[in-house]
Amino acid sequence: MSIQTTQLRKTYNQDTDFPVHAVKQLDLSIEQGEFVAVMGPSGSGKTTLLNMIGGIDIPSAGTVIIDGIDICALKDKALIAFRRDNIGFIFQDYSLLPVLTALENVEFVMQLQGHSEKECRERAITLLDQVGLGEQLHKIPSKLSGGQQQRVAVARALAPSPRFVMADEPTANLDAKSTAELLDIMQQLNEKEGTTFIFSTHDPRVIKRARRVIVFEDGQLTEDRAQ
Amino acid sequence: MLIKLAWRNLWRNKLRTAIMLSAMAFGLIGVVTMIGFMNGMYGNMIDNAISWQTSHVQVHHQDFVDNPEITLTIVEPELITAELDKISEVIAWSERFIVDGMVASARSSRGVRVNGVDIDAEARVTPIASSVKEGSWLPAEGRHPVVVSLKTAQRLRLKLGSKVVITFSNAEKDVTGAAFRVSGFFSTPSSNFDDGNIYVRRTDLMAMAGIDGSHEIAVLLDDKNKMSNALAISVRDKIRLITSSENSVRDWQQIQPMLASIIAQMGPSNAILLGIFVLAMGFGVVNIMLMSVFERTREFGVLMAVGMQKHKVFALIIFETSLLGVTGATLGLMSSLGLIELLQITGIPLGNMAEGLGAFGVDTTLYPQVAASEYRYIFITVVLVCVLAALYPARQILKQRPVDAMAEKH
Repeated sequence: MSIQTTQLRKTYNQDTDFPVHAVKQLDLSIEQGEFVAVMGPSGSGKTTLLNMIGGIDIPSAGTVIIDGIDICALKDKALIAFRRDNIGFIFQDYSLLPVLTALENVEFVMQLQGHSEKECRERAITLLDQVGLGEQLHKIPSKLSGGQQQRVAVARALAPSPRFVMADEPTANLDAKSTAELLDIMQQLNEKEGTTFIFSTHDPRVIKRARRVIVFEDGQLTEDRAQ
Repeated sequence: MLIKLAWRNLWRNKLRTAIMLSAMAFGLIGVVTMIGFMNGMYGNMIDNAISWQTSHVQVHHQDFVDNPEITLTIVEPELITAELDKISEVIAWSERFIVDGMVASARSSRGVRVNGVDIDAEARVTPIASSVKEGSWLPAEGRHPVVVSLKTAQRLRLKLGSKVVITFSNAEKDVTGAAFRVSGFFSTPSSNFDDGNIYVRRTDLMAMAGIDGSHEIAVLLDDKNKMSNALAISVRDKIRLITSSENSVRDWQQIQPMLASIIAQMGPSNAILLGIFVLAMGFGVVNIMLMSVFERTREFGVLMAVGMQKHKVFALIIFETSLLGVTGATLGLMSSLGLIELLQITGIPLGNMAEGLGAFGVDTTLYPQVAASEYRYIFITVVLVCVLAALYPARQILKQRPVDAMAEKH
């Protein structure tokens, strides 16, 4: 089970005189169970890369193959279903539904998969317990701290049992303590359940924990090292 | 979960939603009251016309309708009355001997239609006996009693017991006349009717005219549906089968085509009122939904990113607007129902308008009426318009890819 990109390219303003090459001819392979940090300065193309391998953006050229499926060739409906069942997302600004409680936010994505209410409830409680929010189940996001919200986002990302989790600068808005707690949680889940985590970050605390670091500059891979 | 999410989304901005719901509710109260007022006025006009003027079915000699000659009496009226007695829907019928003539007091005179009636039968077909405001309805005994309207009494300066002289051309085309004594004053909702009609006993009038018979048979039916003449048509057709072709049998809408026009235009005029309201409300809902949806563009992008299919995103937006419509319509219609119920008890006094509307046979106090089917129709229209109003913002969201939607800052 792996992610394989071949000659992946993303160019904005393609048909203008000033095209912006966000990702250039990228060949990359990420195996199941990896804990990968994609680092680089702002505008280097980290988020664009995550969006393309997460199937929420379309490459200008090249392919993204996940478990033998070229996700760029999938139709809209099939791609959404693929994302729902295989890829979890964690966003910098948490992006929780503000009108739902922590529990409902986690249950919601499982309900999209068609699980029964009981199943959703049980797994959501387990996950929120795992991320240390067992006592905060019925609070809406605005009543939680930034670190707690991001933990709900982690639980939400993991709820559908995805094989890959794309985390776009997940610690950018968190203090040191919350960052450490969040990374502990994600590392444990990675080790216990074999979930692949791919972070975009320029946070040295995240980079320090990653087992593989991919350095990105000006849309190109400049370094790929294991640590 | 989708409906729960939609309901909570609706109340994210409580003030905005409350303002929209208030606008819908107050607008609906206005529209429903207006529709109720119009229905009440037209219904009252129809009721009064049937009660006082047309009944449900009338029979005349076919030429009498255009040329009310005294000699043009109904052919074989006994066949008709015998048939009417067999029809279960017939409540009562009244034979009338009608002449156009003059009524004169010592002070003045006026041209009037003199209705010669059988006193008991007429009291069963029209409310005339109960609308005598002073004095009494025509007595069975006594010489030449007459009942005139209060308006005629004022014009001719009559008092109870005053003597009047009624003159008209008899069957021989000679002017005939007789003195009558005023036994009562009546008043109906129609000032025109009051102006032009007086009542005497049919036997007295026939004796003056020198011929027997009747010019008009008015039939009252047990018909609760005043907006339809279906029962009247059925009875009319039964009478036509047994009566001479020289007689004309007409239902109330044929007698007064204006009533049919009123009924025909009630639906469209109510629809126009409602249409103007829902159009204005529709723009309001479009505005609300545009704001509500576009300020959550990023959120919809996230929903699609985490695996929510586009049809479910669409359903979420439609649920939100439907809930807005259902809540607004329910609030508005429940308030309207309460107000209409109250006004049906208190009535709406027409004040200065009463005199003008009296010419059209409208009572001085109106009781608004709104049918259950009209409430249903308004409810469905409001909800439907709310759904339609959300289609554009929903479509705009669905056109976006998750990454573009998530890039939106608002």
